[in-house]
Amino acid sequence: MNDAANTDRWIRWLNTLQLVLAGVLIMAPTVWMVLSSFKPSFEVTAYPPTLIFSPTLENYVELTRTTPFLSYALNSLVVTVGSTALGLLFGIPAAFAVSWTRISWPAILTLAARMAPGTLFLLPWYVMFRQIGMIGSYTALILSHAVITLPIVIWVLLPSFDAIPRSVFEAAQVDGCSVTRILWRIAMPLVASGIAVSAILAFVFSWNYFLFALVLSNGDTKTLIAAAFNFIGEGSTQWGALMAAATLIALPPLVLAALVQRWLVSGLTLGAVKG
Amino acid sequence: MASISIRNLVKRYGNFTVIPDLNLEIADHEFVVFVGPSGCGKSTLLRIIAGLEPISSGDLYIGDKRVNGVRAAQRDIAMVFQDYALYPHMRVYDNMSFALELRGTPKAEIDARVKRAAALLHIEPYLDRKPKELSGGQRQRVAMGRAIVRNPKAFLFDEPLSNLDAKLRGQVRAEIKALSQELKTTMVFVTHDQIEAMTMADRIVVLQSGTILQYDTPETVYERPANQFVAGFIGSPAMNFFPVEWRDERAILSQGATAVPLDGETAGRLRQPGNAVLGIRPEHFAVVTDADGIAINVKLVEPLGSDTLLHFDLANVSAIARVDPSLRPKIGDRLSLRPQPGKTHLFDAANGQVLR
Repeated sequence: MNDAANTDRWIRWLNTLQLVLAGVLIMAPTVWMVLSSFKPSFEVTAYPPTLIFSPTLENYVELTRTTPFLSYALNSLVVTVGSTALGLLFGIPAAFAVSWTRISWPAILTLAARMAPGTLFLLPWYVMFRQIGMIGSYTALILSHAVITLPIVIWVLLPSFDAIPRSVFEAAQVDGCSVTRILWRIAMPLVASGIAVSAILAFVFSWNYFLFALVLSNGDTKTLIAAAFNFIGEGSTQWGALMAAATLIALPPLVLAALVQRWLVSGLTLGAVKG
Repeated sequence: MASISIRNLVKRYGNFTVIPDLNLEIADHEFVVFVGPSGCGKSTLLRIIAGLEPISSGDLYIGDKRVNGVRAAQRDIAMVFQDYALYPHMRVYDNMSFALELRGTPKAEIDARVKRAAALLHIEPYLDRKPKELSGGQRQRVAMGRAIVRNPKAFLFDEPLSNLDAKLRGQVRAEIKALSQELKTTMVFVTHDQIEAMTMADRIVVLQSGTILQYDTPETVYERPANQFVAGFIGSPAMNFFPVEWRDERAILSQGATAVPLDGETAGRLRQPGNAVLGIRPEHFAVVTDADGIAINVKLVEPLGSDTLLHFDLANVSAIARVDPSLRPKIGDRLSLRPQPGKTHLFDAANGQVLR
């Protein structure tokens, strides 16, 4: 009995240690980024890094003075919301169709597209969008970011749809529902939390995606993350402003994730535990 | 309300034939039960009628209309599923009104029909609840309510009682039977439980390997089974079977050379082929005192209250007799049993068909 209690205590202690180590590993760069954004520019790159310093907003002032930050933020919002909506618009019916028909290759195809490096798409897209005069347009950015959002929506929703007993759909068929109506009236309300989770994940991934905006945007449609890249110059890098920009860019996904944290975990495991 | 007619129906999954060639006529207002062991094709047949499975070949008529290619949504039938298949996100009321709402039924009529069905099934207090807040029995009633509000051409039930406990099952069984008499709608009920089949059906379809072995009233299926499979499947405990021969002008159990006292009519049927399988239901043994009976040693006693089951070995066959509990038999007792005249069955030893 005592042995068992001791073992339990050890396991608990090791678990805590593991979590603390993982937390430090994950959080250290974020903390470093946030602290650096409040340091005077000469202290950002100081070695060894300073933990005690007089906080300043100088980097944030510099950021808003040198760049149209709000306008970039608006661009990011348009592209992210647009691509997330597009991902949901096509991803929800696609996931339902894959679950309904049990034909999984289309879902695997979208996953393969997501796995492929973004650079693979970049050149053909650049050529294609240039030929139709869409380089620098929101449409081009939203369409390209749908490659990020669509697979997320499909793969987060697939287990949720699969977890709904087949007989519920059959009951709806017998009741007089068409397949479209089954999706709208029966399936979608049942996977609402999955839809919310997929939307948040799609938003976060699209918001943070850098490569497509770097090449396909122009001065008017540049997203925040692509604009932040401007602080890395050939000769010198404005680390302070870069850290301030990175902190502001990280805020919306962090806030979103924090707000729906509990829901996010339950939504991601919904399919697994319900079935 | 409508008849259901199935003609030369074949159902295949790839190269595997589930239903080879099936013909069945279900009359309007009739309560028909499909019964058979797991994998006999009874649920497949029900799902074909519902429109949830396509037909490989043959024809299906509901009323006068051929419905082979008609979608489930357009067949105007209602179905109660084994797991009830209620819509988890809708209140009981919405579960019941959903189909009517889809058909554009006026709100006042929907309300009246839902409330009438709820009253009939005693589920009025639960109309505002979600399915997860109900017990198994209550969910089962909601599933039935969802079916009856529609006044469909036919009701289909896919083993709807199998998830209920024994007591509730008996209660709901009686309620469905009463409901069928009140609604006067064609009902098709699938079960593997022969007691459900016997108690509820106007006619029973006994299926094996996608083939109808017998289609008749419960009384006929019980009293005059068409073959050994039906005889063994219907009735609980199952019918006892003994290989039997006609030797020296007597019926002799093939193993052990025990003579069986048969009535003249049965003996006459055995005389011609010379050998057969003798079927005796447990309840058709009489305990006798004369020497003409078959002597047995009681191996096991199961008192059921209303009657008592005796287990014994006879001619290398484990057999059961149902006797009066006042007999108070004990393990090891030696008794004399005699098949009741006119209650024995003879089956062809080669193909299992009844010998008439």
